[in-house]
Amino acid sequence: MSKVRPLFSKRMGRKLRFRDRYLPTIISVLSVTVVFFILRALVVNAEQWPRIEAQFFNISAMIEVFPKVLNGFGINMYIWAISLVVIAFWALILAVFRSLHGPWFAPLRVFSIIYIDLLRGLPSLLLVLLFGFGIPALQIPGLPQSSIFWGAIAMISSYSAYAAEVYRSGMDSVHDGQRAAAKALGLNQWQTLQYAILPQAIRNVIPSLLNLAVALQKDVALLSILGIRDAVREAQIYTARTFNYSSLITAAALFLIATIPMARLTDYVTKKDRERRLQRTE
Amino acid sequence: MSRKILLVLFILSLFAVSVFAVGEQEEQPSGSSVTAEENTPNDPRLYQPGKLTIATGEPVYPPWMMDDNPAGGEGFENGLVYALAEELGFAREDVIWVRQTFDQGIVPGKKDYDFILQQYSITEERREFVDFSDVYYSPEKAVVALLNSEILNAKTFADLRKVRWGATIGTSDLAYIENILEVENVAVYNDQVSTFQALLAGQIDATTIELPTALYVTAVQVPEASIVAILPHDPNDLGFGFIFEKGNPIINWINTGLEAIIAKGVVAELTAKYLIGDESIPEISQ
Repeated sequence: MSKVRPLFSKRMGRKLRFRDRYLPTIISVLSVTVVFFILRALVVNAEQWPRIEAQFFNISAMIEVFPKVLNGFGINMYIWAISLVVIAFWALILAVFRSLHGPWFAPLRVFSIIYIDLLRGLPSLLLVLLFGFGIPALQIPGLPQSSIFWGAIAMISSYSAYAAEVYRSGMDSVHDGQRAAAKALGLNQWQTLQYAILPQAIRNVIPSLLNLAVALQKDVALLSILGIRDAVREAQIYTARTFNYSSLITAAALFLIATIPMARLTDYVTKKDRERRLQRTE
Repeated sequence: MSRKILLVLFILSLFAVSVFAVGEQEEQPSGSSVTAEENTPNDPRLYQPGKLTIATGEPVYPPWMMDDNPAGGEGFENGLVYALAEELGFAREDVIWVRQTFDQGIVPGKKDYDFILQQYSITEERREFVDFSDVYYSPEKAVVALLNSEILNAKTFADLRKVRWGATIGTSDLAYIENILEVENVAVYNDQVSTFQALLAGQIDATTIELPTALYVTAVQVPEASIVAILPHDPNDLGFGFIFEKGNPIINWINTGLEAIIAKGVVAELTAKYLIGDESIPEISQ
């Protein structure tokens, strides 16, 4: 006879008064608008604004430089995509090396620790210079001299050190009981890693890895110092020729178009991940 | 809830008041009277009256300035500045040097110097955002390659186009290579050192650079490289000039001094001393 009443019925929703329902939204919109106009007034009224506008926000210059910057941006994305795949695997290998137990694996563990300490401790810019100019100058036969190749190697080396630590934190976050359970089932060290630890660890760290991917997307621009004509370098070339900085705004816009969807994707994955965890504990 | 609204409004109004307060402070009394001190070393329009404050890059390269030491006076550009300062009536110790990057020299805004010089080429495009002095030197361009390079025997632009090129950003070299030699995919480096490093590393085969720099680099810094040829002049490149903040009123006075030392032959002397050309280098003109 009696039905269970849902916690939030539609009828109750209608009961919400105007000020509880709409006022927060109105205040948000109003305050954002007010802040925007105050900032705008600040900027536009600045004494130097007309010059800044001409030198940084010149629409015709932005359009003029767009094809070249877009072409350069293609190089950014190409290096980024390849590096990303290599980093995903190489960092996992490093993390696995570091997590191995047993005296026989000591050399791999030591290698992984030294690698991560060294490459995470050096500024990426230095690595790019050392790899990009230093190694080709050795003129070792058989090694490629391409600056894109060595630049990408530098970024991969540096970012794999970070990603390896992320993987490791994921592996550490898998409960010890899982290892014990795997051992009880008779799995050896490799099998435990493969079937019990890694699948859970990787799922746990995917949001952090995506974060690194966004960072890498922008840091690829560092390779411009090796003479690679990426988006930033094409923009700088235009600036150097004409003293007009609007080209940098074009490059900035392209980077935003690429990174904002990545950031939203990261948010989405993080949200899904949190929901998954909450369900599990129920 | 209403208390929160009040708080938000209060913060916003504070912000608005502070903004307008700042806005009012920035209004300074304008309109300076012409004084008898204009066009003398005590000209109030100088960055620091009584001193001639000049910016240049860091590092500076020979033979334009020797030993990365502008105040030493050894080198073409700092020699020129000291001759100019003397012509304008400054004592030698009243010349103050500051170091700036390429970008600091061209962005809008108040500068903490009177003008900047470091082989900035004058072009019409650039005049939109800065003011240039008169031309003080118009160099020839030289092709530089390693001693074992295949282009040492190049005779035409077509021969030159066969190899990989690099150039330094901010110079007129890139425009020259792309527009006059019609080379594609030129690598572009941050500074002269990086360009030559790329040459040594085998990542590029050739670059162009002003002949005086080329003579110095191939003789002293990178003996593995040599000058292949001299190239014809680019009509769009008007030569080197000092850069002034757009609208800087002292430019005419500085130009008068520059004209005077050019007329006296001081610039020709400095050219002969630091930038002497080598007559034996072949020219490739088509």
